[in-house]
Amino acid sequence: MVAITTAIALFLRHYVGILRGAVLYLVPVMIAGYQLGVIPALITAVAGVILSGYFYFAPLYSFRVASPQEVLNLLLFMVVAVVVSHLSSKAKRHILIAQKREREMGDLYAFSRRLAAAPSAAEIFIAIQDHLANLVQRKVVLLGGAGAGNSREVPEAVRAAVTRVESDAGIERTVGDGNGNIWLIRRVSPKTPDFGLVAVDLGNVADAPLAELRQRIDGALADAAATLERLDVARALNEAKMRSETELLREALIGSVSHELRTPLASILGAATILHNAPALERDPRLQALAGLVRDEAERLNIDIQNLLDATTISRQQVRPKLQWVEPVDIVNAAVAHRQRRLAGYPVTLELDSNLPIVHVDPAQVEQALLQIIDNAAKYSPPGSPIEVAARPNGATVMLSVNDRGAGLTAEEKPIFPRPAPCRHHLGLRPRLVDRQRLHRRQRRQGGGRKRGRGPRHHRDHPSAHLRCARVGRRGALEHRVDHRLGHRLGHLGHRRGDQRR
Amino acid sequence: MTEIPASVLVVDDEIQIRRFLRTGFELDGFAVQEAETGAEALRAVALRPSDLVILDLGLPDMDGADVLERLRAWSSVPLIVLSVRASESEKVRLLELGADDYVVKPFGMAELLARAHSAMRRQLRAARGEPVMKFGPLAIDFGARAVFISERRVTLTPKEYRLLQILAQHSGNVVTHQFLLREVWGNEHLDDTHYLRIFVRKLRRKIEADPTQPQILLTELGVGYRLVSADTGSGPEPAHGAPAAAP
Repeated sequence: MVAITTAIALFLRHYVGILRGAVLYLVPVMIAGYQLGVIPALITAVAGVILSGYFYFAPLYSFRVASPQEVLNLLLFMVVAVVVSHLSSKAKRHILIAQKREREMGDLYAFSRRLAAAPSAAEIFIAIQDHLANLVQRKVVLLGGAGAGNSREVPEAVRAAVTRVESDAGIERTVGDGNGNIWLIRRVSPKTPDFGLVAVDLGNVADAPLAELRQRIDGALADAAATLERLDVARALNEAKMRSETELLREALIGSVSHELRTPLASILGAATILHNAPALERDPRLQALAGLVRDEAERLNIDIQNLLDATTISRQQVRPKLQWVEPVDIVNAAVAHRQRRLAGYPVTLELDSNLPIVHVDPAQVEQALLQIIDNAAKYSPPGSPIEVAARPNGATVMLSVNDRGAGLTAEEKPIFPRPAPCRHHLGLRPRLVDRQRLHRRQRRQGGGRKRGRGPRHHRDHPSAHLRCARVGRRGALEHRVDHRLGHRLGHLGHRRGDQRR
Repeated sequence: MTEIPASVLVVDDEIQIRRFLRTGFELDGFAVQEAETGAEALRAVALRPSDLVILDLGLPDMDGADVLERLRAWSSVPLIVLSVRASESEKVRLLELGADDYVVKPFGMAELLARAHSAMRRQLRAARGEPVMKFGPLAIDFGARAVFISERRVTLTPKEYRLLQILAQHSGNVVTHQFLLREVWGNEHLDDTHYLRIFVRKLRRKIEADPTQPQILLTELGVGYRLVSADTGSGPEPAHGAPAAAP
């Protein structure tokens, strides 16, 4: 820079006629002070004084200065250069600090906005993690709160401190990780452990910056804790924990009840079937009929227990469809075979189209729904009356229908199911009661219609976007609705694939 | 000369279940052994080999699936699993582990006996290597790779024949979708269950009197397929001709 300044000074001297250009050497001093700091600025100042003496003070082009007045001028130049170098260096520092503060304020403002707009505890925890990571520019792990990380994300040496703070032994701890880095373990809120902990890798910092960093972390966490308290997240987290534990207990209870009820039932049913077929009883039809009665009732009890367990599963919204490609007629055949004994007193007609497309559904769940409808058909139809089960194409979908000769609902029989269970999954059963008018309206819409002296037609389409089947008995109507959005015509797709292979 | 009765090992921790199973099997001519735990079952099979094992899944010392896995490491004894767990995925897992069949509790004794005989027959057939098998009106001549329905030749594609051949080799037992896909189409098509549906439909059209109400190739919903048990008698030998399929 001094060389460039000298070149400019010589140019001005020879071509412009400026003979007193020593002040030009203050420019590189200012630039060096601003860009490089005080020491380079001082070196530039000394170089400037020497070159000024060489070019501008008599005798010219000599490092010797003849006049004491000129020496004084040079000294004055030196003092001005030193002051300028300090001032420019200080100005640079102030600008950097101002920029840093502006950035921190921006981060803080963004953090505050995220906290204010956070709809859930998980969002708040993500905001805390992002903000702290941005603040310290190192790793931050949230532990124990909603959406929190795993304690394995922190170094082994730090985990003991995490455990101690988790177990209420103080609000915060500072520990080394064995690699020279300091970790701060601190509760998100000093008031409650419910919001979890935060583990911050502070790195290898000196005491003073460490104190400042901790102060800023405390500030950020205080804001976050206030927002969490405002959202009453502690109660929500506790409730979620309790719900989870309740679900586990309920799961265990259902498993236990299922096992405890079915084990004796297995003995009863097995023994009854042995008795029913025993040669000793073949000679006495009355005893054989009794054994048959025990067997049938045990089977009925088993079906009822299964229905009860299924209803519990549905009410817990734990029905998850396991979609498979399946022949619709296989579902119908399986359902009818499962209810063979229950349908023994009814002539059952199967009308199954041999050209139905294969469909992509959960076969077990569709079968279960069909079993319910068949059960209801058997339950509410006069003994000996025919029941027709059909599977037919219905446009782009497949329609399964069960026709019986039951009485159906009367106008005054409009009971309302006490608690409609919400359907939250792709495929779920929503039992609810419907009135006859509504059912007829729907049947007219769907071309089913109800014939005089017959029970209603109950049908199930799949894989349409909206599946519906219903069965109305004398004592009320139970509608099973299956919402099933599959997105494409799977049955026809299956056909096309088959055709291509052909 | 008296015939030695087939022996069955009943593994269940519930004495009531063991009691009625013993009665049912003894009435059917079996000699019955009992085991209460998984360890006892493994010991019993090792010391005194049975012709059939009936294994409950809920044992006090270990899970029935573990017993099955350990047993299959060294024994191919026909094995039927009893379970109150009726989920399709569980059934598939057990069959893939090597169970010949499963019966969900509660069950009728007649059903269990039918499955038991079927599993034992399969074992016997595998040992004998029968060249011709009959399933009601269906006859398969493995030597000539020919298939007959009521003594009338049926033309099958290579894939259809392979599918039928595998089902016939396991007749009476469930064969899982995964097993069939692996054997017929290879490991890379394990998820392509629609292939199976389409070929089963085609096969049913050729071998069933009414494909919508199959009597020979049955579906185990969500699990796999089952070809009905082969006839015990040898039956009329189908006329040999040109191979129907070349798998």
